[in-house]
Amino acid sequence: MGEEVKKSRPAPDPNSAKFKLGKIAADAYTDAIAAKERGELVGWCASNFPVEIPETLGLYVCYPENQAAGIAARGGGVRLCNEAESEGYSNDICAYARISLAYLKVKDAPEQNMPQPDFVLCCNNICNCMIKWYENIAIERNIPMYLIDIPYNPDYEVSDAEVEYVREQFWDVIHSLEEYTGKKWSDEKFKEVMEYSGKASRMWIEATSQAKYIPSPFNGFDLLNHMAVMVTARGKKEAGEAMEQLLKEYKENHENGTSTFRGEEKYRIMFEGIACWPWLRVTSTGLKSRGINMVTTIYADAFGFIYDDFDGMCRAYANVPNSMNLEQSRDKRIKLCKDNHVEGLLVHTNRSCKLWSGFMPEMSRQIGEACGIPVVSFDGDQADARNFSEAQYDTRVQGLMELMEANKAGKEDK
Amino acid sequence: MAVKELFAQLHEIAENPRAQLDKYLAQGKKVVAVAPIYTPEEIIHSMGIVPMGVWGADLELNEAKKYFPAFISAIVQSILECGIRGDYKGVSALVVPSLCDNLMVLGQNWKYAVPDIPYVPMSYPQNRKPAYGKKFCKASYERVINDLTIATGCKYSHPALRESIKIYNEHNAVMREFAELASEAKISAVERHDVFKSAWFMLKEEHTAIVKQINEELKNGPKADETARVYVSGVLADAPQLLKVFDDNGVKIVFDDVAAESRQYRTDCPEDFQDPIDGMAQKWANMDNCSFLYDRDKKRVGMIVEQAKAHKAQGVIVLMTKFSDTEEFDFVPIKRACEKEGIQILNIEVDRQMVNYEQASTMIQAFKEMI
Ligand code: SF4
Repeated sequence: MGEEVKKSRPAPDPNSAKFKLGKIAADAYTDAIAAKERGELVGWCASNFPVEIPETLGLYVCYPENQAAGIAARGGGVRLCNEAESEGYSNDICAYARISLAYLKVKDAPEQNMPQPDFVLCCNNICNCMIKWYENIAIERNIPMYLIDIPYNPDYEVSDAEVEYVREQFWDVIHSLEEYTGKKWSDEKFKEVMEYSGKASRMWIEATSQAKYIPSPFNGFDLLNHMAVMVTARGKKEAGEAMEQLLKEYKENHENGTSTFRGEEKYRIMFEGIACWPWLRVTSTGLKSRGINMVTTIYADAFGFIYDDFDGMCRAYANVPNSMNLEQSRDKRIKLCKDNHVEGLLVHTNRSCKLWSGFMPEMSRQIGEACGIPVVSFDGDQADARNFSEAQYDTRVQGLMELMEANKAGKEDK
Repeated sequence: MAVKELFAQLHEIAENPRAQLDKYLAQGKKVVAVAPIYTPEEIIHSMGIVPMGVWGADLELNEAKKYFPAFISAIVQSILECGIRGDYKGVSALVVPSLCDNLMVLGQNWKYAVPDIPYVPMSYPQNRKPAYGKKFCKASYERVINDLTIATGCKYSHPALRESIKIYNEHNAVMREFAELASEAKISAVERHDVFKSAWFMLKEEHTAIVKQINEELKNGPKADETARVYVSGVLADAPQLLKVFDDNGVKIVFDDVAAESRQYRTDCPEDFQDPIDGMAQKWANMDNCSFLYDRDKKRVGMIVEQAKAHKAQGVIVLMTKFSDTEEFDFVPIKRACEKEGIQILNIEVDRQMVNYEQASTMIQAFKEMI
C-alpha cells in the first residue's frame, strides 16, 4: 500500500512525506520478519486494537487487515479468497478475513508476506466479525488470543460503565501479555508512546484538514495510502515526524497553488467506506478524469487518538468510527463535508463490511439532506475483486457529477 | 389432552403470533419484542411485560431494502420489514442485543424506520466471565430496565425478578427434557419445531404447563422408527416446508444446536444471589457454546460432536442462515471436527425468502443415502 513505488518514475525524495510514510509501512513488515527470525514472538493484531499496548511492551505485531489490503491491491485477493472458500469459508465473510485465513494455510503470498503469529491481539471496536476471525486463527495455530471487547456503543457518548469495562480489560491483557511474552509494562514508556501517538494524530488531523482550501492541496486518494501508518505505527516516533512533514507539504502546496491532485479540481466529494483495493486505479481514474477530487473521508477524523491519560485512551478506543451510533457517525461526516466544502457524497457499499454498510443508506440520506449535496452509491468490496463492476461505478460517478453540476448551476441561478 | 391436540395448540400459536400479541394486549398487558439471539427476558417478564420473540418472517423484502444492503441477514431484514409494515403494532419496545454486526445495524435502522416502537439496546460483554465483565453486564441490564420503564411505565423490583427467574429456570428444564424425549419419541420435525417456536410467543409459565403435558405423553408414547438420525445446527430452523422434507424422507432430527431452539435453554440463572440482577449477570457469564459468544477454545465445536454422538446421530446438518457471518466462521471448525470423528456433515444455506426447497430436498435425500 504505502510503499507503492513505480519503476518508471524518478526515485522519490527521501525527505518527502510519501517516502517516509512508505518506509514506515514497509519497515513494519521487515522488522517483524527479522524479529521472528531472531526467535522473538510475533503477534497478529487487529487494526483498531490499542497499539499503545504492544508498542509500550515492545512487542512485534503485524496487521492482517493491512496485509489483506496489500495483497488485494496487488491482485492476489481473489486467489486467496478462493483458497479460503475451498476450505469451507462462505464468500459472505469479510474478504480481509478470508484472505487472512487462507494465508494462515498457504503461508506464502508474494504480494505481501508476514510472519506466522505466535499470539493474536483482537479488538472488536470495528466489528464483531473480528472476534470470530481471530478465534479461528487462534484455534488453528493453537496460540493465545487476547480480546479487548469494546461493544458497539448505541449512545452518543461513551458511558462510564463502558470505560471502566474497557480499562479493566486493558490491564488484564497487559498483565497476561507480560506473563506470556516476558516483556514488562513501563508507565514511562507508555507516556512516551502516548505522546507519539498524540503527535501523529494531531498532525494527521491537521494535514487532512488542509482540504478546507479550494482547491485542495492534495488528492484524497493519498490518504488511503498514508493512513496505513496511522493504523499500524501511530505509536512510533517516526510516524509523528512523517505526518508533520505531510502537513508541511500540504501547507506549501496551498501556498504555492499546487496539489497532488493532478488537473483542475472541478468538484469536491467525500468518499465513504474502505477503498476498493483491487480497483484502486479504476476508482481513482473514474474521479480524476472528471475533475472530481475526493477531499475527505471519515479516516480524516478516525485516527484522532488524542487523550491525556489511560481513561482517555479507553474512551478513544470506544469511540472509533465503526463503534459509533448512527447519529454521531452522521454528525462527524456532516462536519467533514462542511469544513471541506464537499459537493457530493460517493458511498462504497462494501459487501465485506456489514457494520459499515448496514446503515449507510439511512445515514447518507441524512447527510445529503443536512448538507444539501447529492449522494450516490456503488457496489464494491474492499478486497474481493469479483464484487465490483467497472461499468456500474462509471455510471454512478457520472450520475454524481451531473447532480453536482446541476446543484452548482442552481446555486449560480439564485 | 392427547399429545396431538397439544401439538395442534402449539402449532396454532407458532403460526399466529399476531393473535397472541392481540390476546395479551386485550388482557391489558404490555408486550415487548425481543430480537435474536439472547435478551434478558427474565427481567422483562418480571416487570409484568410479556416478552415476545421476533426472528423475522418469510416474506418479500420491500421497505427494508431502503435501509439495508442486500448482504445483511434476512432475519434482520425481515424483522425491519415487519416493523415497517406494522406487524408489531401494539408492542411497546424492541430490545436488540449487541451480539453480531447484523444486529447492531438493525438497531440503528430501526430508530428511523419504525420510530413509533422504541429501540432498547442491550450491550452484552463478550469477556463475560471476569468480574469486570459481569459488572458491565449488570450496568447494561440496568439500562434496559430504565429504558423499559420509560417505554412501558412498568416498574422493576428484586422480588419480582426472583420469581421470574424461577419461572424461566423451570421452563428451561422442561424444554431440555422435551428435547431429550423428542430424541427417542415418535415426533415429526414440524411438531418438534412448533414446541420451540411457540415458546417465543407465550408467557413461559403458560408454555411450561403445556410442554409438561407433552413430555408426559412422550414418555409413554411410541418410539421413533426412522433409520436416519441427524443433529441440526444453525440460527433458525423455521421453514415448515424444509422441515417437511425431513419428515417426508424419514430423516429424524434427534437433537439440535439451533439458536432459536435448544441454545436458549442450556443455561439457568442462579437463584441464590442477593441481588438477582447479579444472578442474571452470572447466568451470562456461565453461557457458552454459541457462535455469538466469544469462544476462544471453540467449545461449541466439541459440544456439537459430543451431543451428536450422545443422541446417536449419523450426521450433522447445518442450516446456514445466509449472511450470518458468526455462524459461517464456525462452520469450518465444525466441519473439520465432524470429519475427524467420521460424522457426515451437510451445509444447507437458508434464508427468509426461500421459495424453492427442491435443492434442499435433493441434498437431504442424498445425505440420507450417505449416512
Ligand atoms: S472490513 Fe469491516 S468486517 Fe472486515 S475486518 Fe474491517 S471492519 Fe471488520
